[in-house]
Amino acid sequence: MELTSSELGLAARVHTLTKTYGTGAGEVRALDDVSVGIRRGEFTAIMGPSGSGKSTLMHIMAGLDAPTRGRAWIGDTEITGLSDLELTILRRRRVGFVFQAFNLVPTLDAWSNIVLPFDLDGRRLSALEKARIDGLVETLGLTQRLRHRPHELSGGQQQRVAIARALATSPDLVFADEPTGNLDSRSGREVLSLLQTATREHGQSIAMVTHDPVAASHADRVLFLGDGRIVADKPRQSAEEISAFMLATELGAAAVAS
Amino acid sequence: MTAVAAALPSAAAASPAASAPRLAWLRERGMGASILVAAISSGFGVLLIAVTGYIGAWLRADPYIGGGETLAIVVAILTVLLVGVAVYVAAIVTANTFSTIVAGRTRRIALMRLIGASARSQRSEIAGQGLVVGALGAITGLVLGAFAAWALAEWGAPALGMTVEHSVLEPALLAPAVIVALTTWAAAWTGSRRVLTVTPLQALGGSVERSLDEIVRPGRRATAITLFVVGAVFLGLGIAVGLVNPLGVVVAFFGGLLSFTGLALGATLVMPPLLRLTGRLFGDSATARLAAENALRYPERSSRMAIGVVMGVTLVTMFAVASESVKLVMAASSGGELPVEMATLLDTFTAVMMALVGVSAVIAAVGLVNLLTIGVVQRRRELGLLRALGLTSSQVRRVVLLEAAHVTITAVVFGLVLGIAYGWAAAQSLLGSVQIPPLWLSPTFVLPGIPWVAVAAIVVATAALTLVAAVVPTRLATRVAPVEALAE
Repeated sequence: MELTSSELGLAARVHTLTKTYGTGAGEVRALDDVSVGIRRGEFTAIMGPSGSGKSTLMHIMAGLDAPTRGRAWIGDTEITGLSDLELTILRRRRVGFVFQAFNLVPTLDAWSNIVLPFDLDGRRLSALEKARIDGLVETLGLTQRLRHRPHELSGGQQQRVAIARALATSPDLVFADEPTGNLDSRSGREVLSLLQTATREHGQSIAMVTHDPVAASHADRVLFLGDGRIVADKPRQSAEEISAFMLATELGAAAVAS
Repeated sequence: MTAVAAALPSAAAASPAASAPRLAWLRERGMGASILVAAISSGFGVLLIAVTGYIGAWLRADPYIGGGETLAIVVAILTVLLVGVAVYVAAIVTANTFSTIVAGRTRRIALMRLIGASARSQRSEIAGQGLVVGALGAITGLVLGAFAAWALAEWGAPALGMTVEHSVLEPALLAPAVIVALTTWAAAWTGSRRVLTVTPLQALGGSVERSLDEIVRPGRRATAITLFVVGAVFLGLGIAVGLVNPLGVVVAFFGGLLSFTGLALGATLVMPPLLRLTGRLFGDSATARLAAENALRYPERSSRMAIGVVMGVTLVTMFAVASESVKLVMAASSGGELPVEMATLLDTFTAVMMALVGVSAVIAAVGLVNLLTIGVVQRRRELGLLRALGLTSSQVRRVVLLEAAHVTITAVVFGLVLGIAYGWAAAQSLLGSVQIPPLWLSPTFVLPGIPWVAVAAIVVATAALTLVAAVVPTRLATRVAPVEALAE
């Protein structure tokens, strides 16, 4: 009998995942037979150069895209084969998102953006949820900003609102796609340590896609992707170690090519 | 930087130097609708002038009526007014469309600025596109309108027993076409004002979209308020004069013209609060709130989108209410029953007028559909985000439908209220001096007659318009795949 994700201690996993774009000679293989799990309660970084397939992997894991072959689970729910409606509701209730930019709905203020997943679900916050979100808002330093619209917030503040929204439903997994890509280094560090805190203090599982070694050095585990495959799976690394590893693989690839 | 790279090919396609066909921009969303708007207004003007010309010739040829100089002048004034209203509504719609197109092209314009194009040359390019669009539409309208007029004169009129030696194809038909081409050009120029505010830097940053596009113009605001107040005073004066003399209607007519122009100019003052009020009616579910906020995201755009419909509905309602009120007074003064012939005559006149001003409503409706569609296209990324966060496709559908309903309901309710007010003012100022049994005393207070059939027709037409307006945007919106939109 197959083991479930929770028995394996995983928040999400994929099995022999392949994703191709185009057909025939123009076929591009974004993911090539990838099998990997995101461990529960861990902050995982997914690293790799542009075109390595890291974003594709994240999109499929988060139920935003469908694989060409293979299976994917969020918690114990297999998401491959779910209808668009089922996937949408699953994302709403069990996945959190932090994107690089354009994270917030420009017409809604910070508070409405944070509770949007609940509103979309058509339900009011329970006292417990309200208290939790108030705590989040406080920790993220957003108390004074709740009535502000996104364009009235700085980039760092916008990103913190996005984090609050992603954590609000205490989802199975938070996906962060280059969350510091558009920020200055100070705001970037802030965002990373907030994500780290969410994992350490609340056991939130987080998967972060990045190509920044400094960002990845905040994670408990670093997965390296190259040409659609997982090329390394390492525990916490310093930024120097990550850079050295990436440089080595890059040079190795260059040597093979020449 | 990906955004710049992505913007490059499309920018290249728009520049005349590129190998792409010079008129590739015509396929851009919004251009087709602008051509349609120009074609409708031009075709309407051409047909109206041709038909009134034919009827005028027929009347002159009629040995019994003969001459009919006064009638000819009245018909000429009516024609100018009707075509004027249609062209005015079309110009509002076109200016709005172009300002929306410019908003969508911000990145591309910024890139051209970055490379070294001047803001002026960018704006001229867009205005030039307006001239091409206007000319295409005007010529289409001219050809179709002239053909329809010719067909009517050839087959329609003889069937009604009207025969006269008169060629409907006269030089005057060129006038509406030329006017439409020029106003479309001017409207494109007006609508492209925002080009001047685009900075080269906007090509680079992933800057957050500002939620307001309003450029406050205090001058226009003052003009609008002045026109409205002066118009209202004249309207009151007309009603007062009307209590002793039917000529009060002439004073009231100018009052109506001025106050209504004031309202149209001051749309951005009047419409947003009304739109907000409608938004409250939809409740506070996430979809309703998103729709309500979307309708107010660009207050200027929504206001002008709505005011076109308001004008159409007001005019249609005004004729219906005025005629109904006149019938009530006439019936009362003739002791209860209106002579059947008179009622038929009034009804026919009203129906014809309603149909003629209805053309303006159709033009406004085209503009509304078009703007809602462009609005959705320009929000692809946001829709992608919402879909990622858990907005289902049926919720997307509801948001778009509610957004359309928001604008149409506000515009129609406001238009009905205004139409009833203006229609009543017309009837009161015309008939205030009529003496009514049993006391045979004037002044008479005219009760506004509400033509329920017309009101029902307007409401049904609104519902239909809302649904039609939502069809294309809904299709586009539900087709947005979250990943695709987020990758942009």
